[in-house]
Amino acid sequence: MGQRTASFSDLKVKILAATVAAAVAAGLVACAGGPTRGTDTSGIDWSKVPATKLVLFYPGKSSYEWLRDPAAHKGAASETARGDSCVSCHDDAKEEQRQGAKILSGKHPLEPIAPPGKPGHVDVAVQAAFDDKNVYLRYQWKGSNDIEYPYYRFDGKEWKVYGGPRLDKPVQEGMQPAIYEARMSLMLDDGKVPMFKEQGCWLTCHEGERDLNPATTDQVKANAAMQAYKKSDVRKYLPASRSDPSDWKTGKSLDEIAKIKAAGGFADLIQWRAHRTNPVGGTDDGYVLEWRNFDAGKNHFASNLNATTKQPNFMFDAAKFGTKAVSADQVRTKDNFLIKGANAVPFDPNAGWKAGDMLPRYVLQPADASGSAADNKGYGMWKDSLWTVVVVRPLNLANPDDKALKPGGVYNVGFALHSDNITTRGHYVSYTKTLGIGAKADIVAVKQP
Amino acid sequence: MSQQAKRSLLIAFVAFAGLYLSMPALAQVDAEAAENVFKDNDCHKCHHATKAKKGPSLKKIAAKYKEKKLDEKEAIKHMTAGQKVKLDDGKEEDHKIIDTKDAKVQTNVARWMLSH
Repeated sequence: MGQRTASFSDLKVKILAATVAAAVAAGLVACAGGPTRGTDTSGIDWSKVPATKLVLFYPGKSSYEWLRDPAAHKGAASETARGDSCVSCHDDAKEEQRQGAKILSGKHPLEPIAPPGKPGHVDVAVQAAFDDKNVYLRYQWKGSNDIEYPYYRFDGKEWKVYGGPRLDKPVQEGMQPAIYEARMSLMLDDGKVPMFKEQGCWLTCHEGERDLNPATTDQVKANAAMQAYKKSDVRKYLPASRSDPSDWKTGKSLDEIAKIKAAGGFADLIQWRAHRTNPVGGTDDGYVLEWRNFDAGKNHFASNLNATTKQPNFMFDAAKFGTKAVSADQVRTKDNFLIKGANAVPFDPNAGWKAGDMLPRYVLQPADASGSAADNKGYGMWKDSLWTVVVVRPLNLANPDDKALKPGGVYNVGFALHSDNITTRGHYVSYTKTLGIGAKADIVAVKQP
Repeated sequence: MSQQAKRSLLIAFVAFAGLYLSMPALAQVDAEAAENVFKDNDCHKCHHATKAKKGPSLKKIAAKYKEKKLDEKEAIKHMTAGQKVKLDDGKEEDHKIIDTKDAKVQTNVARWMLSH
């Protein structure tokens, strides 16, 4: 069970769930052009906390392997392989802007399908604070109000995925609309992950992952290590989890992985999601080692597909939501969040489904979220094209899948932003920065009275 | 205007023109454009203005060219020929080739580099 603070007790989760239920029941839905709800309950006067301006840029296919390829990362492959930091070469004041613009120019090998008009970088203002219980991170950036996630759509016979991230082939070909949630992520190391300080998130980005020459389902099925991990695809992993860090197929045994984890050789991953966590005041708690894992316990969201029946698990409660499902013309017109305890009821296969009915792919479960997976909270508000997100992380977590943040501590961190209905390599990332909890760093969390 | 004033003005003009003509390289450098090409080609990843990185600093390169009485033509050759360069650890690498064949752009970059 994860450590919980008094300010985020089970009681509060129940109150939050009840509040969400009341809001949905009252029909308080926001139009796409209006503000997306989210209340910062930290009580912090953010006007008194200095902001650090970060520039996150589009990395495209610059994987761990690409960085070490002499033919691709010309003049820098051997330096990268020996552990030099990215910024030992990429140190220009406008480096992120320059690299992002080049990669998205439409003629760069790192992004062969550059979305037209997509900016190469995004400015993100980061503020940090802490009190006796929590660390608070406040992010602000200009971006679109991406609060939806792809749906399941009934075609008269089956429920099939509707919509997808912008880089997906059906979206590229105009067969599906671009739908994906905004995300603000923080990857964190306490100094125990070799080379994280130097190369940060790029340690975790590998060939074989989605949108990076992905491994096929058959290849993953045929790999003993991936089967031992019980995974059906390749996700972020750290070099230490592989015998050959550049080959996802060389995963170490579960015993070896457990030893690395016990020694702290994993990166914490704290992800705020506009669709799957924000509506219930949550933020993911995960970690990266042999895969991109969620922490132990129950997450703020769960799949809305029954693996056996291939039908949804939940549908909207028409008495509370207005209808039992949504249709394509309702996308981006209201808050289509499916929330247990608020507007979700068990799926009824005999409810008279017609072609075109759609249900969210994930159901939110505020009352079920528990354990280490539910440590982090978050509140996001979108207004006038500006996202303001506050992520709350308890201090001194003692879970084996968490990095404990402590007053006086300095941590290596990498930031990632998913914006404009996109995921995987389409996110924006930062070079490694440092976060100090009341200690000197690139971003200093300010002690609150 | 008095004759003396006119004479002073003429002397100043001649002096300025002489100085201008004696420093064609400096006078004709578009530093902003040169720096942009330099950085767009990632030259800055190895060559900093003043400090040594993987390659020598621009200041050191300029000093070396001055000492050896080399000019921008040699610098252009260096950035377009892909010749081998020797690194501090003794290894050799092909020098990156600038992505423009425009002689004016190359010349501007070379003059800007040698102005450090």
